[in-house]
Amino acid sequence: MQRRNIVLSFAAAATFALPAAADDPMKIGFVYPSPIADVGWSAELNAGRLAIEEAFGDKVETFFVENVPEGPDAARIINQMAAQGADMIMLGSFGYMNDGISLAERRPDLTFIHASGYLLADNFSNFQSRNYETSYLVGMAAADVTETDTVGIVAAFAIPEVVGMINGFTLGVQAVNPDVTVKVVWLNSWFDPPKAQESARALMAQDSDVIYSLYQDTPSVVTVAEEEGVWVINTSSDMKEYAPNWLLASQIADWSSFFVKSAQATMDGTFKGEAFWGGYADDTVDVKSWSSSISAETMAKIESAEAAMRAGEFHPLTGPIVDQDGTERLVAGEVIDDKSMSGIDWLVAGVETRIPQ
Amino acid sequence: MDVLIFIVSGTLAAATALIFAAMGELVAEKSGVLNLGIEGMMATGAAMGFVALSLSGSYTVGFLAAAVLGCLLSMIHAVLTLVFRADQTASGLAIGILGLGLSSAIGKRYEGRTVEGLPELDFGPLSDIPIIGPMFFQQDIMVYLSIVLIFVTWYVVTRTKLGLVIRAIGESPENAHALGLKVRLVRAGCVGFGGAMAGIGGAYMSTAYTPLWAEGMIAGRGWIVVALTVFGTWIVPRVAFGAYLFGSMSLLELSIQAFGWNIPSQAMSVMPYVVTIIMLAVISRNLAFIRLNSPASLGAVLKIS
Repeated sequence: MQRRNIVLSFAAAATFALPAAADDPMKIGFVYPSPIADVGWSAELNAGRLAIEEAFGDKVETFFVENVPEGPDAARIINQMAAQGADMIMLGSFGYMNDGISLAERRPDLTFIHASGYLLADNFSNFQSRNYETSYLVGMAAADVTETDTVGIVAAFAIPEVVGMINGFTLGVQAVNPDVTVKVVWLNSWFDPPKAQESARALMAQDSDVIYSLYQDTPSVVTVAEEEGVWVINTSSDMKEYAPNWLLASQIADWSSFFVKSAQATMDGTFKGEAFWGGYADDTVDVKSWSSSISAETMAKIESAEAAMRAGEFHPLTGPIVDQDGTERLVAGEVIDDKSMSGIDWLVAGVETRIPQ
Repeated sequence: MDVLIFIVSGTLAAATALIFAAMGELVAEKSGVLNLGIEGMMATGAAMGFVALSLSGSYTVGFLAAAVLGCLLSMIHAVLTLVFRADQTASGLAIGILGLGLSSAIGKRYEGRTVEGLPELDFGPLSDIPIIGPMFFQQDIMVYLSIVLIFVTWYVVTRTKLGLVIRAIGESPENAHALGLKVRLVRAGCVGFGGAMAGIGGAYMSTAYTPLWAEGMIAGRGWIVVALTVFGTWIVPRVAFGAYLFGSMSLLELSIQAFGWNIPSQAMSVMPYVVTIIMLAVISRNLAFIRLNSPASLGAVLKIS
């Protein structure tokens, strides 16, 4: 039922003749969990693939399979890619992890990069982005434009990454205006565009005039915000074209530098499995399409926070931080460590909704 | 008050797709054919309606295309179960899976695109009445058509000769056949009507309720329709009530979350299902009455030559 297209896309060939390379181009396979649309998660990963093609020209040959369900189908496709002579494989979803790592053990000559997992091997890296950094910045912008002092978040599931982003966002809000209330609606579903849109409307009916769409892979929330004239912030893709008037900002992750680096290491034979957690310091996260309605004063604050994060001098979760129950989680000046951040399961004070237990 | 308006006006819209599909399924089941392929037919309708609207710019064309394709899909089910006497459950599931695949193929090039949503009707001064206006008179035409459909379905099934024929065939196709009724023809018509309505319900999701196409956007609503039909004991007003109840509960759940009340959101997420099932089970607790209303031959293989 899930149709999948195996598309061979050769690196943009130069129109003028070049002497043939001494050996075959390096083959890189990409496995995407959803169809490549104009926007969304798979589209972002695919941008990384295009960056590799651009960087290496005809020294690489990339191919991809989209819309691969996690499970036996994924295992088959990953193994098939290896059989077709792939030198490197990008696995675009958490659920490909076990199949990927077992193939990595059998085929030490291949390299793997895997999105959002936690397993590692010498030839198996995983990668994630520090989205809470950009969440902090868009939170500052949200506090600037809200007139009702209420902002609403439509969130998928309370996994650590999402919780961390809500915390970053709320701290950003409070850095500009401590009186703003942050509400969350948990969808408890990764994919239900109608429900996402209903949630956005439910938040608007309760005075939210900024909606933060957290991991909705479709423009569901963004379009309803544009229709109702409410500010909206999007995660993981720039959706300016869907809300030309009311998009406050878009948080994006750019995998180009990590993908190109991994491909280069594979080519050179220096690949070493690592847990890559890229933020501003690694040019992996950024905010696009800042609205011109954000005040100059706040924009200046945002820019200086961004510069501090690029320089590695500032972490959004720096104490004193108190959680919803009033427990002090970080004392003044204390910065959360990566281990706690990657398993974070508490929300900062100021978020009205609790984490589903 | 905003919250109340949100829930009431939202419920009418949220239930619309369910009502179209459920009325279709009810008629098909009344004739004795269970069609578990609703989810797939709605998905196909959603993709087809979206694509047709994008290409033609006309909502009428979008809904018609969705209805035609939904009907064609259900005809496969009709042929399999009525001509080749396939098992209704298996055939319905197969149609459902086929429909999901078909929807993804049709919508492939439109993945993640949006369209302008179906506009609201203008009732002039009625729309401007405080509270009542935004609740009832700022809706699109399909919301009102779905209400008309409830009355028409109820009237046809319970008050007309055609309804009597459908019910007789659903009760005992063998006896109906012996009486000279065209069992296969009537059943095929009912199944086709069910398919067309499921297609329209799906198209409502992708062109009006959430005006975008994304694969998998029906997200289980087809199964809700199947459940509503059964728990509503094949009685039109009960099925419609179930659809509105389910719609309002899903919106209430989100509103309660936004209030910040300390209720686990997973519990809230199952609330619409639990409340709807309990309510329909309570109002339908009379067993003799259920037996009277459930089509006796539902799901059985046709035993006529």
